[in-house]
Amino acid sequence: MELKIQNVSMTYPSGKQALKGLNLDLKSPSLIGLLGPNGAGKSTLMKLLVAALMPTGGNILVDGTPLNKSESQLKASLGYLPQDFGLFDELTVTQFLDYMAALKGLKNPKAAIREVVAAVNLEEKARAKIRTLSGGQRQRVGIAQALLGDPPFLIFDEPTVGLDPEERIHFRNLFSRTAQERLVLLSTHIIEDVQSVCDQIVVIHHGTILFTGTPEQLIASAAGHVGVFYEREAGQEAGLHITARVNTSQGIRCRAVADKLPPYAQAEEPSLEDAYLYLISREADQ
Amino acid sequence: MKTMRLFPLELRRLLQSRLTWLMMALTVLSPVLGLVLYKPATSTTMLSMYLANPAIAGGTAGAILFGLLTIFELDRACRSRVDILTDAVVSPLTTALTRLLALLAATVLTVGLTMLVWLPISAGLIGAVFTGANYVLAYLLFLGLALPLGVLAAAAAYQFTRRADLSIVLFIAFCALSLTVWAADWQLCWLNPCVWALSDDFSNLRVFRSVAWMRFTWLLALAGVWTISYLCIRQYGKGVFGSLARSVRRLYRPVIALALLACSGTAYAAQPFLDHSNPDLTVMSFYEIPYAEGVTFVHRTAQVFPDTDAGTVTGRASYQFRNTSGQEQSISFGINPGYAISNVKANGADIPFTVSDYQEYNEALLEVTIPAEEEVELTMEYSGFPQESMPTMQGGKELSDEYLCLENSALSPRVMNVMPGEAGYPAEIEITLPENMLAIPFGSSEAEVVAEHEDGTRTWRYEHNGAGGILYAGDYIREDIEAGGMTIEFYYGRKHQAVMEAAQAVDAVKEVVDYCTEHYGSLSFGTGETLKLIQSRVAGGGYATTGASLLDEADFTAANLGNTEKGGGAGEVMIHELVHQWWGLGNMFDTSDPTSPWSAEGLTVYTTYRIVKELYGEDYAREHYVDQWQKAVDDYYLNFYVRNPEYLEMLPEQVQLAISNSLSQVRQYNEMPLKIYKAEQLVGGEEAMDQILHGLFNRELNPMYPYLTYQEFLSACALTEEDLNLG
Repeated sequence: MELKIQNVSMTYPSGKQALKGLNLDLKSPSLIGLLGPNGAGKSTLMKLLVAALMPTGGNILVDGTPLNKSESQLKASLGYLPQDFGLFDELTVTQFLDYMAALKGLKNPKAAIREVVAAVNLEEKARAKIRTLSGGQRQRVGIAQALLGDPPFLIFDEPTVGLDPEERIHFRNLFSRTAQERLVLLSTHIIEDVQSVCDQIVVIHHGTILFTGTPEQLIASAAGHVGVFYEREAGQEAGLHITARVNTSQGIRCRAVADKLPPYAQAEEPSLEDAYLYLISREADQ
Repeated sequence: MKTMRLFPLELRRLLQSRLTWLMMALTVLSPVLGLVLYKPATSTTMLSMYLANPAIAGGTAGAILFGLLTIFELDRACRSRVDILTDAVVSPLTTALTRLLALLAATVLTVGLTMLVWLPISAGLIGAVFTGANYVLAYLLFLGLALPLGVLAAAAAYQFTRRADLSIVLFIAFCALSLTVWAADWQLCWLNPCVWALSDDFSNLRVFRSVAWMRFTWLLALAGVWTISYLCIRQYGKGVFGSLARSVRRLYRPVIALALLACSGTAYAAQPFLDHSNPDLTVMSFYEIPYAEGVTFVHRTAQVFPDTDAGTVTGRASYQFRNTSGQEQSISFGINPGYAISNVKANGADIPFTVSDYQEYNEALLEVTIPAEEEVELTMEYSGFPQESMPTMQGGKELSDEYLCLENSALSPRVMNVMPGEAGYPAEIEITLPENMLAIPFGSSEAEVVAEHEDGTRTWRYEHNGAGGILYAGDYIREDIEAGGMTIEFYYGRKHQAVMEAAQAVDAVKEVVDYCTEHYGSLSFGTGETLKLIQSRVAGGGYATTGASLLDEADFTAANLGNTEKGGGAGEVMIHELVHQWWGLGNMFDTSDPTSPWSAEGLTVYTTYRIVKELYGEDYAREHYVDQWQKAVDDYYLNFYVRNPEYLEMLPEQVQLAISNSLSQVRQYNEMPLKIYKAEQLVGGEEAMDQILHGLFNRELNPMYPYLTYQEFLSACALTEEDLNLG
């Protein structure tokens, strides 16, 4: 499956310009991490990709066909977990998945449901009413419905919110396995999730793409721009963005990113989070 | 295709909601309201009380409940944000259509359950006159079709506004319109159909047809409105107009919406049931048409062919006139506004004719010009669905294989401006009816079978003298009763046989006729030998003419006839109407002056009281007659508009008319009987009053002024008007 986003813009009726001339190629198999601060345009982009919104400019091509002509084809091959979704509380987990399976037109829903229930570790709750589930369990039901029917294109918006660390790791691995044959777009604030599993990263800020490439490329772009120092040594340099402050026996140790590190800072190997923050801070400074 | 695949799924989900079952259960129970609280059908027939009212109340409550359920269900997906998941899989338009179908299916299920639950209850309450056909039609039309209307209206409100609170306000306002300002408009009261009565003993096809017409008109309208709202379903993050602009790109969608609305508008405008008669009943312009100069009436024949399945009439009428004017003359006929005239011939040649758009008293004006020949035979063919005038009292023109009533111009065009000939207006009518129906001319003439046909129909023929004439026909039983020195032909519906026999109605008729004949004398009009007593389909009252008296079936219900307080006798309106054979027929009373209490009703009500007193005892008669009159008269004298008539004149004409009609009724039905009761005491008691009334009934008539006046009554009693003041 291949999606081409060509010069896509989105301006809301309120006048807010959420996306500005975006260009992006997404091709399976791939697990793409979508990063960006709040309000950057990530959700707008995902809504455009699930045809919940129509772009005000540009084109989205699904396997070469404009999205407005292939909407049903896209919906038939899509698994979507939005950030903020609801479930029918009066149904059991199985009944809800059965409902979604029927919406998707699955021919053998029982087997598909068994499979996704097992994949999200909800076998014990399969017959429980949804109203009795915890927040994390509801999130897992959401993931399960997205996985139903093995769709070739998956979009997950903050999928690990509300999950405990063990579950997060479980789902990271699940997404990674899933992406071996599919196109998976994963939007998250948890850089660690992206670093662990994504083979490609897209960073959006203020409606434009700041970076596309592999995590390694993003990390490499921050080399020489990450340093550590003790707070007492610090001056008042502009363009220095502290990303972490750790209390140690020798004082508060700061980690920072900057286009040009001050002399008292000791250079460090950048992490993906450092690289991301460096990218965003550089954009903010400009 | 996808919608049909998703439909069972959505229905299953809907039926897993407790709220759905709660609404269904409440709807199933809601006909109870029609037994205790909400009784729009005012008639006292068993089917009105125990079938129409529960079904209408159930439909009203059910439509409101399902409307609220619809708003809740549509809003829930949005409120709980499930729509984000479903919209990513299928179009929100598909989801909306699927949800609507599921809700409609739930209404079908609810109607089925309601009918199952209420079948034994209704059968038990209604008793011997219960029929499955009436039950099924009443519940399907009065209750069943109200529910989808509620769903469509509520769904449209939600799809337009996408706000539950606003949708509820709009939906409730729409319901309130039907229950208040539209309640008397049979085409607009979408929630609570205008049904004032259902007949126990005869068919109700006319009422069912008109309700079905109203329901389908609204189904088309609301389906059209829903389709427009469907086009406004928010898509792609757009607002109502942006979504509409996007949805109408598939041209068939707005075309369907507009076609539905156009069909509804056409159905509204082209309804066949009600005419457009002038609502001002004081206007009688058809009676002011000058008589055709030099033209006299010779004879009329009519062959009438009712189609009892379609409820229509086809007929041929022939009129013979003598035109001595030597000139062409314009002849006017009154025809039922539902009829069309296909051709008119004078002496075998086609002649032009016009039918007026203006209608009055359930008639349109047919005008033809007859040639300047002395002997003119005018023939015409007519056909159509007879229309009636009173939207809130439909059913009078019932026409089925159980019952029909064809009055005057509904039987054949009624000549209006031709002087009677030497023999008056002689007529010979033939009507072809199913074999189970008896033809009963309303009057002294008798109908006889003149032909039996292979298709199971029979042709009846009877003679009549009059420009109009009324014919009843139905599945009747005839009982001949010897009473008061004459033969009473008592006709009642076959369906009512068990009730009549149990109530010993035949004996009651005999008692009443014997009483009146003994106290006031024999009936002198008509043949003097017979009197037809005809149980009519529910009509809100009875009336009489020479040799025949009509009795409303509502007074023959099992509940009324079986009232033990009345000693098991026949209904009192039956007595009342019979008494009109003595007081009120022909020209005994002048045309009633609405400002005067004196009319045929005063003596009739008083005599009814006397008979009831003899039958059921003094206490019963005092409580149900004298005390009731007194109470009504006391209220009347305290009435603001009676004390301040100048304020009545300031009111709008319609309100003024309603109040003055109501006050007139009190004067005629309560004030005058009470005055006669007072006169009875002043003249020395009942026996003395009986002597006076006997004298008045058998007095010598002044042919120039044959009416019995109030002054004659006072003179006979040797009293003055002031003596009978009640104040």
